[in-house]
Amino acid sequence: MISFKSKGFFSKFYSWLPIFVLYVSVLNEFDINYLNLDFFSFNFPFILIFYFTLKDFKNFDYLLVFFAGLINDTVVGLPLGISSLSFMIICIATSYFRNITIRPNQAKDWFYFLFIIILVNSLNYSILTLFFSYNLILWGYVVNIFFTFIFYLFFITIFRFYLKGLND
Amino acid sequence: MASSRDDFVIAIRSAFLKKSTKQKFSLLTLVFTSIFVIVLSNLDLKVVRYLKIGINELVYRSSFVVSIPENFIKDTFIEVSDYTTFFNDYKKKRIELAELKSDYVSNEIIQNENKELKELINDYVLTSDKIFARIIVDHESPFLKSIIINKGSKDGIKIGTNIYDQSYLVGRVIEINYKTSRVLLLSDLNSNVPVTIAPQNIQAIVTGTGDNYGQIKYIKDGLSEEIDQDSIVYTSGTGAIFKSGIPVGKLKIIDENSSLKFSVNFYSDFSQLKYVFAEVINISENLDLNTSESNNENSKTERAKLQILENELEIIEETNSKFLEENINLKNEINNLNIKLLMLDDELSSKNTTINQFNIDKKELEFLKLNLEFGHKCRKSRKLFQKTTGFDPGSVEYKKCVLNKGIVIND
Repeated sequence: MISFKSKGFFSKFYSWLPIFVLYVSVLNEFDINYLNLDFFSFNFPFILIFYFTLKDFKNFDYLLVFFAGLINDTVVGLPLGISSLSFMIICIATSYFRNITIRPNQAKDWFYFLFIIILVNSLNYSILTLFFSYNLILWGYVVNIFFTFIFYLFFITIFRFYLKGLND
Repeated sequence: MASSRDDFVIAIRSAFLKKSTKQKFSLLTLVFTSIFVIVLSNLDLKVVRYLKIGINELVYRSSFVVSIPENFIKDTFIEVSDYTTFFNDYKKKRIELAELKSDYVSNEIIQNENKELKELINDYVLTSDKIFARIIVDHESPFLKSIIINKGSKDGIKIGTNIYDQSYLVGRVIEINYKTSRVLLLSDLNSNVPVTIAPQNIQAIVTGTGDNYGQIKYIKDGLSEEIDQDSIVYTSGTGAIFKSGIPVGKLKIIDENSSLKFSVNFYSDFSQLKYVFAEVINISENLDLNTSESNNENSKTERAKLQILENELEIIEETNSKFLEENINLKNEINNLNIKLLMLDDELSSKNTTINQFNIDKKELEFLKLNLEFGHKCRKSRKLFQKTTGFDPGSVEYKKCVLNKGIVIND
């Protein structure tokens, strides 16, 4: 387990790690699909943003998330602001969910996450097709939602270890 | 009831407006900012355009730096898989190269002829330079297929510039920055390329599918039956978006539930691209050309033609010498065969002589046998008071008589 006794550079870096990982993931657009499987993709930033905003992580600034969205749009080639809007909707949803939840439950979080990514992706798809006349594969979105939903459990296990390391 | 509604309103309001100690902006502000950015980025204002170019340059470079470790892993993976098929690929490529070399000369002749004919009809002449460009970002979104190259408006890239992998079409530029550009790949769903299907000469449109193949669309009714498997698809130049005659891919016919579907397997593998060529085209009207330029151009063309003709001559001479060599070999072979034939003739004639001798001997033997048996009947009797009959031994009649077993046949 990682623990930091002193408040040095590494300690600071560790506490800002989620934001750093978010920026790397939007700049890199990694989807671990080296085997070129058809349609296989998942949205790692969605998982990261959902988890850390739900936990109200102190260094997970909304403004930085907003800028990450702008970078994501630039890298992918989407109209500027679309991903920022998606990220902000996730932030609002998690903030609302946090407000109404008295006893947090992992299963509830997981299915709420599914509901949110369906909502966000639907909105994303609608804006791109209706206002920007993009041709998009709906099936690709469905698979992306499915894998994002499945991978959520795997990633939150890692995030939990990270938070434990930070609290220790 | 009222209290639960109040709770909901409070939770929503809190979600939108509440800022924790570290947050500088409320989420509502950021949502409105996002919408504002979406609207603003689609306005064609000079300030916005320059701002976007700045952001793009910065983000693309950062993305390139951040992707170095991932690209290293990806490249290593590709290299390892390449090594496993290296030798077979090499053998295949060597054969292909030999075929391509022979095609190259005739292609250049056709190109020069084409250029000359265009000049004759006072058409515009396209002079193009292919710029070598490196791909700095190729993170394909699951939904959009595009790449970023390290050449921009500074290098003469324009919206619509054709991008090649060797001589195969890869896509076209859809966004330009000062030193970078975004290329929309042919595999993107939003990509539409007017093409010609050869050798049937059918006009169609290839659209991307999101995968490494395209789909043929908008073929005139009745013409789809004429299309063969493995027909070649190249750009038709219709609409002047793409230059004509650029190879795109090979056609594949898929029979899906008794309805035919046509897909195009692109010549280039977009997932393996590292470098591409951007074609910067300069259009110059023939009439506007000043004489020195045209002379220069003509001399260049003539020189190129001469070079090609020299190459052609070299090839013809090589072929001729090969033919001559072959001729000499064939002549030698013919001579050998003639000698063999003569020898066989001799052998045959000697065999025939032996056979004839054998036949004669056989006849003689038969005559002697019959002579012993019937000779006395045919010989002349020289007894007193008897009528002289028979023949003298050795005469033809005697021989006939003996062969007829002593029976005399009067002619």
